[in-house]
Amino acid sequence: MENYLQYVADSTAFILEGSVLTLQLYAVTIIFAIPLGIMLALMKISKYQSLRYLLTFYTWVFRGTPLLLQLFFTYYGLSIIGINLQPFTAAALTFVINYSAYLTEIYRAGIESIDKGQYEAARALNMDYFQTMRRIILPQVVRRTIPPTCNEAITLVKDTALVVVIGMGDLLRSAKELFSRDFAITPFAIAAVIYLLMTTVIVYFFRKLEDKYSIYE
Amino acid sequence: MNNTDPDMKMIQALNITKSFGAHTVLDNVTLEVNKGEVIAIIGPSGSGKSTLLRCFNGLEEIDSGRIIIEGDIFSEKDEKHHKDKISARAKREIAKKLGMVFQHFNLFPHMTVLGNVVEAPVTVLGQKKTDVIKNAVMILDKVGLLDKKDAYPSKISGGQKQRVAIARALGMNPDIMLFDEPTSALDPELIGEVQKVISDLAKENMTMLIVTHEMRFAGEVADRIIFMDEGKIIEDAKPADLFNNPEHPRIKTFIDKISRRDAE
Ligand SMILES: Nc1ncnc2c1ncn2[C@@H]1O[C@H](COP(=O)(O)OP(=O)(O)OP(=O)(O)O)[C@@H](O)[C@H]1O
Ligand SMILES: [Mg+2]
Repeated sequence: MENYLQYVADSTAFILEGSVLTLQLYAVTIIFAIPLGIMLALMKISKYQSLRYLLTFYTWVFRGTPLLLQLFFTYYGLSIIGINLQPFTAAALTFVINYSAYLTEIYRAGIESIDKGQYEAARALNMDYFQTMRRIILPQVVRRTIPPTCNEAITLVKDTALVVVIGMGDLLRSAKELFSRDFAITPFAIAAVIYLLMTTVIVYFFRKLEDKYSIYE
Repeated sequence: MNNTDPDMKMIQALNITKSFGAHTVLDNVTLEVNKGEVIAIIGPSGSGKSTLLRCFNGLEEIDSGRIIIEGDIFSEKDEKHHKDKISARAKREIAKKLGMVFQHFNLFPHMTVLGNVVEAPVTVLGQKKTDVIKNAVMILDKVGLLDKKDAYPSKISGGQKQRVAIARALGMNPDIMLFDEPTSALDPELIGEVQKVISDLAKENMTMLIVTHEMRFAGEVADRIIFMDEGKIIEDAKPADLFNNPEHPRIKTFIDKISRRDAE
């Protein structure tokens, strides 16, 4: 029994080491994809038609093809034309671009759900476009899009596991290595617990955020 | 009724027209508003009342004609190119002189009552927040809502919302107030409190244009009543004249219909 506990502790430590990269990738994706998604959403409903077409094409491609394929493309595909990216760079780039595509659509729908009267009131108070967006529209959009953003944040935890295909070490790969070495199921159970812990923290965080914003409802 | 100053023109609209597609909504409208004057705009649905107001603060663009606000050209369309000769920036500067109140309040739901009033003077005019708050508190007191200053709009009644909306517009210190059916979305028992605030403004000689279906209120508060029909001003008269012997038979029918509806 004691031996087993020791084994669990050692395995956990090993797998957690692997999680560092997972968490880094997670953080980079969230930090860049959310603002980028908001920006692209604003551009997607702008009056510039060519910009709108371009962004429609972008979300169509990145939401319409597997993330795994996109990952292959940036890591292996680009190396054929001489662009050799580090696995982490390739993964981060792919994840940011992919998640921004989803978030763009979420925020676009959010912006379009805001009553036209809000724009008119802002305009009647002489606010310009940026003031209206920053002070009036986007705060309401952020509130309304907390649930779908939370969904994306949870999916992202699990999607990070895909990086094993470009040879990156991560949480799941560490677990797999232990499994291959020891032929025991415990490492997978540990990995599952770590994933669950991460998603639980994320859900908790978004729930707090929702509470904070819901005082005005 | 009020001290109106016929020499000082607050709004001059000269031959303005406005169409949505093939539908002419304002048909060569000419109107002058003097300082301190209160004008009620009445007329059937779709006659262009809202559109007229919205042209005055730039929520709609005119197709031709000219709008002058306190002596400054606000909008001038060249007949051929339909291009406004006035820059967007100059327009915004002039539009600061007008405040607007909407039928559905359009308060900012994510800000408190005080936040709604403070927002534009700080963000748009760049005034110091402490000064703005002082002024906002004064205005909220005037509309009788100081005790609600920390409430969110979702927590107050329709009549209170509309009073906040008026306070919000007043926070920008406008010279002219535009009201587009300010009491139409309210339960009957809440109409009075909003009308009282508007009457108080009239006593302070605020220049106001009020689109309304409340004939009694229009008669009480207005110096002039304008009747619009199919994009035209078909009568512009003192309340007593318009109600008692309108030139146009159409007006009498309309007023009778409204009064009958109100009596029900
Ligand atoms: N943005 C728009 N696009 C197309 N048509 C419009 C638009 N705004 C108003 N209209 C049309 O213009 C006409 C005049 O509208 P307006 O809102 O000025 O009338 P109103 O006199 O205020 O009527 P109500 O008493 O119903 O408010 C209506 O037929 C309306 O359908
Ligand atoms: Mg109207």
